Amino acid sequence: MGRFLLRRLGMGLLTVFVSSIAVTLLIHLVPGDPVQIMYAQSQGTTPEQIEAIRHSLGLDLSIPEQYLRFVGRLAQGDLGVTVRGQQPVLGLLMQRLPNTLALSVSAMMVALLIGVPLGFLAAARRGGWLDAGLMALVMVGISIPSFWLGLVLLFFFAVQLQWLPVTGNGPLNLVLPALTLGLANAAVFARITRSAMIDAMQEDFVRTAHAKGLPEATVLHRHALRAGLLPIVTIMGMQFAYMMGGAIVVENIFAWNGIGRLAIEAIFQRDYPVIQGFILVFATVVAVVSMLLDIAYALLDPRVRRAV
Amino acid sequence: MTMAGTDPIAVTAAPTPGLARRLFSNPAGLIGTGIVLVLVALALFAPQIAPFAPTRMGAGKPLLAPSLVHLAGTDEFGRDMFSRIVFGARFTLMVGAIAVGISLVVGLCIGLMAAYARGWVEIVLMRLSDVLFSFTETLIALACVAVLGPSLQNAMIAVGIAGIPLYARTAYAAALVEAGKPYFEGSVVAGAGPLRLLLTHLLPNVLPTMIVIATLGLSSAILAAAGLSFLGLGAQPPTPEWGAMLSAGRDFFNRAPWLMLYPGLAIAVVVLGFNLLGDGLRHVLDPKGRDR
Repeated sequence: MGRFLLRRLGMGLLTVFVSSIAVTLLIHLVPGDPVQIMYAQSQGTTPEQIEAIRHSLGLDLSIPEQYLRFVGRLAQGDLGVTVRGQQPVLGLLMQRLPNTLALSVSAMMVALLIGVPLGFLAAARRGGWLDAGLMALVMVGISIPSFWLGLVLLFFFAVQLQWLPVTGNGPLNLVLPALTLGLANAAVFARITRSAMIDAMQEDFVRTAHAKGLPEATVLHRHALRAGLLPIVTIMGMQFAYMMGGAIVVENIFAWNGIGRLAIEAIFQRDYPVIQGFILVFATVVAVVSMLLDIAYALLDPRVRRAV
Repeated sequence: MTMAGTDPIAVTAAPTPGLARRLFSNPAGLIGTGIVLVLVALALFAPQIAPFAPTRMGAGKPLLAPSLVHLAGTDEFGRDMFSRIVFGARFTLMVGAIAVGISLVVGLCIGLMAAYARGWVEIVLMRLSDVLFSFTETLIALACVAVLGPSLQNAMIAVGIAGIPLYARTAYAAALVEAGKPYFEGSVVAGAGPLRLLLTHLLPNVLPTMIVIATLGLSSAILAAAGLSFLGLGAQPPTPEWGAMLSAGRDFFNRAPWLMLYPGLAIAVVVLGFNLLGDGLRHVLDPKGRDR
């Protein structure tokens, strides 16, 4: 278990390390002069001011020096300031992050609550018309663009029926974004649950349970389901990352004030410090969550705990 | 020397007898192929099919509801939405093909190289792929667009780059299985050079897996690129690209819901088509995974 934890921690640290390097290099990959591009919109910037900005961003240093400077500041919780408004980037991101996490976590709940029972049902009725129908539905579910689904839901529930508010940042405003993001991922969970359950039903201990004459329902719920749920925990980490990615789009449809909306605004404004901070925070959150879920998986399945 | 056609061994050894027939006997494969063929036909014959030029303003009055003349209504400039959607098929196909092409070629090179070279090359390439894979395609694509700037061309490149880790990992896993087989080791012992090992042993055996991944990848690439255009980071107005059209339709959400309905529906149907086709291909090419 100790070795497993160490390896998992190493992978998480590597992820954050790679993203910190990528973020430092990012600004140098911009075709042309990033400072000129950033300040192209604000007129009347003198060459002296441009030089001062270049210096304050550390762009006059060599790339390894820039990286060390970036990491040194990061250790003190300093990700620089925004190009427009000179606000601290980290503070801005931390202020918005809880909204994105709330959206991703509630979408995950929606996806699990809808996807897992449907996948279980399909596996229990494997080969029947219910299975075929559910799997067709899953296929449609993963094909619908979230940005379109979001608009359609918004149109019906907020505009036509007026059950829910169109924009804002209260708890009620979370319903439609969470549904939008959750529904597509419910399809993924349904598919994984189905195949995990089918695998589990072929395991020896399930056959034994059948052989000793337990009723079908007991075998399904008490024996197969437990084994079938484990693979779902393993993909939850990756799914959470997809939710965070999907949140970027969904936040923009519903004007939900998360880091995704901030990132898109920053891309339009060429606010590189914000974009750099966003990538780093996103990668760190994803790394931490997937690490925690992997550890949870190891704790749940004694086979994994002992094997690694 | 007998002719191939009269040689009984050659006849029975014909590769993939009736691949197309098996694909069409699978409902997913049949429907998927149908949708994809319609998309290709729309793209090829767009000028013949579309009743109006896609960017012609005043083809009808602004914001007309769908009718027999304007099957999908008109937008705020009186442009015919049906014609715009028909021409949009071209962008969808192009975006999908170019993005997947980038991911496939680069990913295949990385995966094969890692599986063949082993040692530190393998460790560096595959660990890096793992890390990038965990960032998710959305984040990589966004970072690329942030660097390159918003445009349709850059969105295609961004989606292509974002897909590389998945293709690299898949190619690597498939190549590793192949490299472990006795015939491969025999070939190494017999003194086959790297080119022979890579091109005649690994590549052909990895390709079937990669074709399935690429077909399914077309759907996610189309979805991702349309998403970027929807956010304003891809195709720019007045390009008749479905994601950009959907985004423009948001402003007339209440008065003209068809402006967001049809472009989104078009994306969903095409993505479904490629998903079904990929699923069908997987059934045909990999019978073991039939029930998964």
